[in-house]
Amino acid sequence: MNIQKRHNLEYLAAWLLILAFFAWTANLLLNVQSDWAQSNEITRIDQDVHALFDPWRDLNRPGNDVLENYEVEIQTNSFERYLVEYSAARARLEVHRAAKMPMTDFYVGMDEAAATAEVLASRVLQLAAEREALRLSGAAPDSIRLVETEAATTMARMDQAFQSGLDLIANMDVRLDGRLRELVASRRASIGSLYLILLVALLGSVFSLVLLRRTAIQGEALRSSAERINAIVNNVVDGIISVDDAGNVESFNRTAERMFGCDAEQIVGLPFIDLIDPESREQYNEITLDYDESEYLGRRLDASEFPMEIAATRIEVDARPLLVYIVRDITERKHAEERLRLAASVFENTTEGIMITDQDAAIQSTNPAFTAITGFTAEEVIGKNPRILQSGAQSADFYEAMWESITATGHWQGELNNRRKNGEIYPQWLNINAIRDARGRVTNYVGVTFDITELKASERMKDEFIATVSHELRTPLTSIHGSLRLLGGGVAGELSEESARLVRIADDNSQRLVRLIDDILNIAKIEAEKMRFLLQPLAIDDVIGRAIEANRDFAQQYDVRLHAEQGIREARVLADKDRLMQVLANLLSNAVKHSPSGGVVRVSVQRQSEYWRVSVVDNGPGIPDSFHDKVFSKFAQADGTDRRQGGGTGLGLSICKAIIDRLGGRIGFDSEPGVRTSFYFDLPVMQRQAMADVVVSG
Amino acid sequence: MKQATLSRILYVEDDPDIRELVTMSLQLIGKFQVAACDSCAAALDLVDEFSPELLLLDVMMPDVDGPATLQVLRERVSAENAPAIFITAKVDAGDMQRYRKMGVLDVIVKPFDPMLLSSQVEQIWRSNRSNLNDNNK
Repeated sequence: MNIQKRHNLEYLAAWLLILAFFAWTANLLLNVQSDWAQSNEITRIDQDVHALFDPWRDLNRPGNDVLENYEVEIQTNSFERYLVEYSAARARLEVHRAAKMPMTDFYVGMDEAAATAEVLASRVLQLAAEREALRLSGAAPDSIRLVETEAATTMARMDQAFQSGLDLIANMDVRLDGRLRELVASRRASIGSLYLILLVALLGSVFSLVLLRRTAIQGEALRSSAERINAIVNNVVDGIISVDDAGNVESFNRTAERMFGCDAEQIVGLPFIDLIDPESREQYNEITLDYDESEYLGRRLDASEFPMEIAATRIEVDARPLLVYIVRDITERKHAEERLRLAASVFENTTEGIMITDQDAAIQSTNPAFTAITGFTAEEVIGKNPRILQSGAQSADFYEAMWESITATGHWQGELNNRRKNGEIYPQWLNINAIRDARGRVTNYVGVTFDITELKASERMKDEFIATVSHELRTPLTSIHGSLRLLGGGVAGELSEESARLVRIADDNSQRLVRLIDDILNIAKIEAEKMRFLLQPLAIDDVIGRAIEANRDFAQQYDVRLHAEQGIREARVLADKDRLMQVLANLLSNAVKHSPSGGVVRVSVQRQSEYWRVSVVDNGPGIPDSFHDKVFSKFAQADGTDRRQGGGTGLGLSICKAIIDRLGGRIGFDSEPGVRTSFYFDLPVMQRQAMADVVVSG
Repeated sequence: MKQATLSRILYVEDDPDIRELVTMSLQLIGKFQVAACDSCAAALDLVDEFSPELLLLDVMMPDVDGPATLQVLRERVSAENAPAIFITAKVDAGDMQRYRKMGVLDVIVKPFDPMLLSSQVEQIWRSNRSNLNDNNK
């Protein structure tokens, strides 16, 4: 029997007990009340009966002159009053008897005696009245005596009748007393029983209350426990499904509802096997007989599938066997496993060498690509420091800077030369990342590397190609340009005007071709990041002066004057002088070509927050709005038809932008059409830049 | 004191057209004596007899390039003190730095203007002379 049922029975018994006590108590109270009513009735009968005869007892005192007494009574009207009371008492007795109330038998015979007495008493009164009338009429004493004699006889009979009534009363009193004693004894017994019942009821009530309270507490505890278990069952991360011995679902917690995309009502009563994908059912059938923990394919109501893990166990509840399945949706775990498998596959199959060390840089794991690159197997390097790969090509400072970066940022990447197991030195690209745990402590370092020997060879080939192209194009151009210049210069003799004009056209275009080749090669180098920058502290004023000097002749050809505004002596930047000159030359030549004849191109330096701004301003026609977003694009020229402005390659400003970008600066322009155009570039202020940052890049 | 003048220039260039152009420019416009040849070996044949005051060398040449030719020529007494100028189409920031470390006065970039070449060469030579004089004082 389970606890709940036992508590219900206890609860019922307690209530029955209480009801029985109430019934018993009520019965006793009714008895007491009945006895009490009978006692009262007896007393009342006794009073009524006594009311019939007691007055006569007083009247019939020995020695009294009855008639005198009667007369007195008559005179005071008392006798009539007695009669009235007597009649009333008789009427009550009659009612009592008619209602067949208890103890009516006690006064049987009294009526008769009382009626006789009443008749006789009336006769006495009549005779008394007659005597009084005779006296007043002065009748003969004999007449009066005759009346008095009859009165005496009547009174004697009346006394006899009363005496008979009094005897009956005496008898009745005895009987009534006996009955009263019985009633009192009964009532006492009832009251005693009542006290006992009250005591028992009190004790019973206390006990019942205790029992009820205990039952309530236990019920509450049961409910609370059931609710708690329910809450737990419904909120665990696993689906909990109980299945009866027929294989049908008996309960289905909320997690299972979410997992299978349905409400419990939809599933309870259905075969559990419906929740398993048909492909997994055979496997399932084999495991139902005993505890199991296996992976299956779950099937939702909408027929979609998901991987799940089932732990099944058999229990017994209320003598009924029950299978309880703990079902876990392992989709995420499967994904994680898949990701891990993928990561492991990548680790094993990638062409990049991977080396994982612990926090003390002792190698823990390497992949096959690492072995392919270095020649060292995992077994040969595990537990060792990656220093075994060092070739000596890098200085101690290099490694110090590497570790400073890893310590500060958790990351380092760069190029270095290492040594393979066979002693061969090879270039590699290395990317090191610190791996941290949840508390931010470094647990591992992961180095990903790839052999850049071929890349380097390819780069060298590209460099050689660029150099070769540069050389091979410039060499014939040098001959063409040189020959034309000598011809035009009259070295080989004076030319006719037409010949001189033709030679000049050929010369101009050969120069244009030279510039085009230069610019294309520059762009190619910048984009391939092959342009070398020799960074050094530069005084901007000096650079501007040199640039103006170098371009003065060119400006004169356009009748334009170059003018440097008041310089700032302390304006210094970290830059490559030749590249900066190249930028300035480009901006100056553009400004010159776009200036009107007689115009002035002004160059100035200004401080702009953390930058020095160099501006080249002309008062040319400006740049059309529609061209603003193309200014720094390759081969972009706002108006290629203007011969005065022609001769450019359309690459100059894109080269300037690439150079300034590489120098960590920015380039831009402001243009007021018809008024002025200002091209400027900003370079970081020198003193803000640590000399340690001076890097020769290339 | 009479100002020193540049007169003998040993010029090594493998490209015959440019060699002819440069020679013509230096001779006709600069009025210099020019011994032009196409390789390091030919230069070695000439150098002792010619005693150059300036070496003008192309950089990219087959077999022995400009820098190597300079090193070889410097081993000859006749050219050990002769300043050198490179004339080349191959030049970038790194090259320039390397050439200067070798003691090369300057680099003239191809294509150059032959009408201005002589004055350019003389200017570089004079600039070096004045630096030397300043250092000797």
